[in-house]
Amino acid sequence: MQRFYFSMFLLSAATALCGVLLFPPPVAVAQTKVPRLNYKERMLSNGMKVLTVEDHSSPTVAIQVWYKVGSKDDPDGRSGFAHLFEHMMFKSTKNMKAEMMDRLTEDVGGYNNASTYDDFTNYYEVVPSNYLETLIWAESDRLGTLTVDEPNFKSERDVVKEEFRQSILAPPYGKFYYMIEKRSFTTHPYKRPGIGSIEELDASSIDDVRAFHKTFYRPDNATLVIVGDFDQKQLDGWVDKYFGRVVKPAGTMPRVTIKEPERTAEQRFNEYGANVPLPAIAITYLAPPVTSDDAAALQVAESILSSGESSRLYQSLVYEQQIAQDAFANADLREDTGLFYFGAILSSDKKVEDAERSLLAELKRVQDQPVSPAEIDKAKNQLVTNALHERETTNGKSFALAEAAVLFGDPARANTNLDRLQAVTASDVQRVMKKYFTATNRVVIYYLPESMRGTAKNVGGGSN
Amino acid sequence: MKIEEKNFRNAGFVCSVLLGTVAFASISFAQEAPPAPAAPRSVTIPKPIEKTLKNGLRVIVVESSNMPLVTSVLMVKSGGEIDPDKLAGIADMTGDLLTKGTKTRTAPEIAEAIEALGGELNAGASWDSSLVTVSVMSSKINAAMEILADVARNPTFKEDEIERLREQNLDNLRVALRQPGTLAGFVAARVVFGDKAYGHPLSGTPESIAAIKRDDIMSLHDKYYRPDNAVLVFTGDIKAEAAFKLAEKLFGDWTRPNSALPVMAQDDTENSMNTKPRVVVIDMPEAGQAAVVVARRGIKRADPEYFRGIVSNSVLGGGYSARLNQEIRIKRGLSYGANSSLSARRAVGVFSASTQTKNESGAEVASLIMSELRRLASEPIADSELTPRKAVLTGNFGRNLETTGGLATQVANLALYGLGLDEINNYIKNVQAVSAADVQKFAATRIDAKGANVIVVGNAKVFLADLQKQFANVDVISVGELDLNSATLRKTLAIKTPK
Repeated sequence: MQRFYFSMFLLSAATALCGVLLFPPPVAVAQTKVPRLNYKERMLSNGMKVLTVEDHSSPTVAIQVWYKVGSKDDPDGRSGFAHLFEHMMFKSTKNMKAEMMDRLTEDVGGYNNASTYDDFTNYYEVVPSNYLETLIWAESDRLGTLTVDEPNFKSERDVVKEEFRQSILAPPYGKFYYMIEKRSFTTHPYKRPGIGSIEELDASSIDDVRAFHKTFYRPDNATLVIVGDFDQKQLDGWVDKYFGRVVKPAGTMPRVTIKEPERTAEQRFNEYGANVPLPAIAITYLAPPVTSDDAAALQVAESILSSGESSRLYQSLVYEQQIAQDAFANADLREDTGLFYFGAILSSDKKVEDAERSLLAELKRVQDQPVSPAEIDKAKNQLVTNALHERETTNGKSFALAEAAVLFGDPARANTNLDRLQAVTASDVQRVMKKYFTATNRVVIYYLPESMRGTAKNVGGGSN
Repeated sequence: MKIEEKNFRNAGFVCSVLLGTVAFASISFAQEAPPAPAAPRSVTIPKPIEKTLKNGLRVIVVESSNMPLVTSVLMVKSGGEIDPDKLAGIADMTGDLLTKGTKTRTAPEIAEAIEALGGELNAGASWDSSLVTVSVMSSKINAAMEILADVARNPTFKEDEIERLREQNLDNLRVALRQPGTLAGFVAARVVFGDKAYGHPLSGTPESIAAIKRDDIMSLHDKYYRPDNAVLVFTGDIKAEAAFKLAEKLFGDWTRPNSALPVMAQDDTENSMNTKPRVVVIDMPEAGQAAVVVARRGIKRADPEYFRGIVSNSVLGGGYSARLNQEIRIKRGLSYGANSSLSARRAVGVFSASTQTKNESGAEVASLIMSELRRLASEPIADSELTPRKAVLTGNFGRNLETTGGLATQVANLALYGLGLDEINNYIKNVQAVSAADVQKFAATRIDAKGANVIVVGNAKVFLADLQKQFANVDVISVGELDLNSATLRKTLAIKTPK
């Protein structure tokens, strides 16, 4: 459920944790409640879902349009295409020339952006509230009438190739996170990193763009969320007028049905990078879907292991052993089988095998003994505070609601996920750690400087 | 995992006050015109309330209670600019070490105490200031502030924590120096400021980090961390009276030393005319992209032309549709993003434009940036371009005020540079007052391309010949030969040239 930019992993000085404290202070369970999102829900006759929250705390509105199509839906031989397509949605439509979405947002003091995830793609903008009708019109226009020309397609494809270079090739650990994705799945399309590859981006054409829009960009595959300063009746009228006229096409959408098989034995990989100052390691496990009843306990486990300098991994690997300059855990849960992974970027002159042993020892500790009540309370306080920060803005509120509706399949999850977190106990954490973090469910990736090629054996540092 | 974004912009809030409405005349070609905007609604900007304690500590509170959160910042008005020549990074290290042990708490105990509250405590130095920041649920603010006050007032700077941090900083630097964009920024600062303040990396160099001793850190803390050189800011779900009471309780007995506040000698040279602008290539054969930076001296934060400066920057490179991104990304597909920034500081700061591109395009992108800088000074700007670029500024500003963290940063910055807190209320008016002629004049006189240096970090053999066709006297330094301790940027020359 937690998502990062690649770059955020790299030098975050404050990302690890540990549990055993000599004098844990008594901590009460969070008294502060996250204010509920009181949303209104309806469905248009063309199948489009609409969720709205009237909120007059600032004269702005946040608009999110989420489509249930993501990187896992990249066509064969076109890895990176869903993301390239997302960029094309800022080009021309029947009624707008290229980049007009920027004229309607940026030029009036608002902003826009879009992101492609594994399971969905979202487009969003925040604008002064007097521009709400204009933006509803514009979002409906690019859903209904996208038109793309060859020069714009080629130029934007070059931008995406530069994005690939900037996020994967230029940063010392860009390829490391890319390989985590690639090596962790054998069968499911999640094995293709969403940013794609230069070769497959080059292979894509403008016909692919048209086909992709026709296949997935339809009202019954879209969820519209609006939070902010509006009048409900007026808003409903605009939504009916502009989105209601988009015709639902006949036929059904292709869906990814392939399942990632369970892992049956540990697998190990050595990967090399040209510009790697210090070795790194990742240990990945297949994890249940984000809607699983185990998800809340996994999120609490992630927090206990890696949220802040008091977290278990930071205290053990970074602070005490000084074996790593950064240690992380990430519950990367998805619509289908996802990942829970751990890892570290090493300190100078340390051995990657030793870092592996230390990481596995921390996992074993969580499996062997229940975490303390203070650690559970701390994790809940941290997760509640994160939710409060997210919901300080209309954009944050609209994201939380859209994520609940699209990824979790139920907008009520925007409120009830927080209740689920509050209900997690130490024995829940221990149970999920034992269930998923087994030796046969493990992939171990060493990421090493090119100069070490041929010298590292990667036979494993520990047993578990 | 995985977010692939359309662009790199951050989220924020929007102000419509004084912005009025823009009719979308430019799209009259459309088969269907977009609906016109309604009348704008006004925005309420929160009002800061302040008080100065007897010991000179200035306390500022801005109540805003969208969510039950409070952010508090203790700002010391001295940062990396006070680092002695050979001890670059010491102010940053001193800031980091505050949370690594006090008279009554160890480093793990500090982390545990604040994180048990669900909060975050961050400390470190910036240019011109050092900050200790806490952000928590409002029900936990008393306990969190007790920890903040303890780390600011009672740090012990234990040897083992200094050594641990030294090793961590050295490793962080090993990674940063392999990042073409980061390295280009470090080199640009040396080229622009030479051996003067702001010239070194804020976090130091491998050599300077190794040279810092405990006594140096203790004396820096004694000298600069004092109530009359500090400001305490609270924003969010807290009443002013409660905040003042908390400030008095935790900082009222913080003693003001008898000695006068140390004054920094300021280098106010605005341009690089005293030294010829340089074109520097750092050759990093394994770089996955070339990082290109054009940089020169800019302005002070207190400069009367500050608002002309930020509007000029907004036209050139502030935001997605600004000229640099138009030319480099949108028209030519040469980069994921190009932008510029005007970092206005206590003394004259840096103006820079930067981007990353495939190694093959390094030279092309460098000359595109230079020609955009020249165009800003030579051609009048149409109102149809200027108006939206001002809207970008005022919109970002308004959004920043929407979070407790953003609000605290804005208020602290005004206090840092001795500006009136009512500038928050006048920001939009000040931006709107800038004319097209002001921008052109500012570009010609204050950020002129003639004074600009060019820095490219990347695989030089791919772009060097092209670069040499466009620029004379290209100075090529291999990454192994680079020395960030010296304005010469060269290890060998640094040894030969005694200072």
